[in-house]
Amino acid sequence: MNNPYLPLLATIQSIKPETYDTSTFTVQIDEAEARKTFAYRPGQFLEVSIFGAGEAPFCIASNAYGRDTLDITVRRIGRVTKALHDLGVGGQIGLRGPLGNWFPLEEVAGKHLLFIAGGLGLAPLRPQIYETYRQRAKFASVTVLCGARTQGDLVYLDELTQWQTQEGMSCHLTVDVATDGWAGNVGVVGTLLPQVKWPAQEGVAFVCGPPIMIKFVVQDLERMGFTGETIFTTLEQHMRCGIGKCNHCMMGDKYVCLDGPVFTYAQLQRIPEFHT
Amino acid sequence: MTSRLLVHGKVDEFVGRLLKSAEVIAPHRTPGGDLLYASVDTAADVSWDPGIPMESLKRFLMPQRETILQFSKNGKMSVSAVYDDKPKVFLAARCCDVTGVSVLDAMFGGTYQDPYYLMRRGQSTFIALTCQQPDTNCFCVCGDAGPFLKKGYDQQWTWLPEGMLVEIGSEQGQRLADAHADLLVPAELEHIKRRHQLAKEAEGRFGDFRAYVAGAMRKLSMEEVESEVWEQLADHCVDCGGCAFLCPTCSCFTTTDRFDGAEGIRERHWDACSYSCYAREASGHNPRAHRKTRLHARFFHKLSHQWAQRNARHACVCCGRCLTTCLAWAHMPAAAEAIRRGAMK
Repeated sequence: MNNPYLPLLATIQSIKPETYDTSTFTVQIDEAEARKTFAYRPGQFLEVSIFGAGEAPFCIASNAYGRDTLDITVRRIGRVTKALHDLGVGGQIGLRGPLGNWFPLEEVAGKHLLFIAGGLGLAPLRPQIYETYRQRAKFASVTVLCGARTQGDLVYLDELTQWQTQEGMSCHLTVDVATDGWAGNVGVVGTLLPQVKWPAQEGVAFVCGPPIMIKFVVQDLERMGFTGETIFTTLEQHMRCGIGKCNHCMMGDKYVCLDGPVFTYAQLQRIPEFHT
Repeated sequence: MTSRLLVHGKVDEFVGRLLKSAEVIAPHRTPGGDLLYASVDTAADVSWDPGIPMESLKRFLMPQRETILQFSKNGKMSVSAVYDDKPKVFLAARCCDVTGVSVLDAMFGGTYQDPYYLMRRGQSTFIALTCQQPDTNCFCVCGDAGPFLKKGYDQQWTWLPEGMLVEIGSEQGQRLADAHADLLVPAELEHIKRRHQLAKEAEGRFGDFRAYVAGAMRKLSMEEVESEVWEQLADHCVDCGGCAFLCPTCSCFTTTDRFDGAEGIRERHWDACSYSCYAREASGHNPRAHRKTRLHARFFHKLSHQWAQRNARHACVCCGRCLTTCLAWAHMPAAAEAIRRGAMK
């Protein structure tokens, strides 16, 4: 019997500090055969084992195309994440996945794509941004709006800087508080929405960030003409098993791990926990 | 499949033969007087008394604590799984508990198969014993889980003055009957009639205490439950988790690692959705920080049609154990009644 609790072993290849408490870990699955057959879609997540500390879910933050390594971007905040940060390059971890559903791609062909991220919320959107950019001809436009508390809290800053001048996409940044000579926009991420020049009816929004950001950005988007069906978000929950058995991520009649983590905003509105 | 009769003088021999090939788990009267399911060594250890054992069969299929992975580091890490696939016979299992196993089957089967549960389950045989005398807190008539079963058993035994009437419910049950055919005689039509008469009489012995689960299901599924219901239940509940641990169908779990740097294990153990830390995330964000939201989630999961569709039936087998253990008044019958009425009495 196939055992979905048995992790694949993987090794940390490199660690890139993103902010004072957040780093991107690039990992490679040890076994060559498993590495070759491991395929995922943007939006899916992994259960990552740090042996001895435990297991926790992280979205796959890397470009899904043409790479044999995976990125996870992790804030040092709890037992498992602290143990991961302490491991260092060459450390061995366990991976289970890919788990969960993914962002729509073919379904949104021809649309204007709007990515709105707050802080570390950019991590789950990053593979979708790369994938839609790779298939850029299929979409009307690609826009990335990203906000963080300060400049120092912006993850993937080098990529964001590159996207700002990259042909075929537009990228706008904002911070809550201007520090370190920040000359760009100051304000919450919603203040970047006037940058959207196309009609909302022809667009699709992918939103990820802290709950308060999602709440107010969605209100802004609905005012612009987006609907519950054209706003997608991805939820982070306490997902212990990732396969719909442990019940921790149950919300209403859904498991975040099995039925999500990607939901339309219309689906979220039907979940009681989302209102409290 | 025809029914058989196991005359009383042959019951112990039948049990003795079961013990030779499998672990036999049956109701056992402890020296302190409690009735518990336990792994028995001899036929004499089996208690045929009426009454409901304090705990369900859950711990034998999904132990409160079990090792699921072993890992070791000798330069490089290696990880392997640990399984228990010893054959088990559940003898004189109560109808509600056998019904509970069908809910666990749905939980642990499906898209992702849980090998730890399913391996034990695959090696298990269920011999249900019909209940002719319900226990104080039993209300299985409200939940299609007893006192006699229509399905879900391998064999179902009913105590008759002449012996045990053995009904066969599956091929596995048939094979077991065939293997011990020398101890069984064909049942007469009279025996079958008596069994149906006894079932009717047993249903009449349930007290006035009822939980109208179906009414609660309707309101929960349509999200029509008044928020005061959850507030009132939350005033009672003390988050002890006893109901979840004793429930035959509650299967929430969490995992813990132990690792000394060279050898380690990953254990899984029961968890309870009423605990305040159950859904809390590392960031401190807790989508169910308030007890009323946890109680809503608990009863919605157990009783809504939304979850009944996913799990083949609603997840209350009406065994009454939550009522027995609840320190307050926030157990299933109390909740079902409050949901149905729109307030606690």
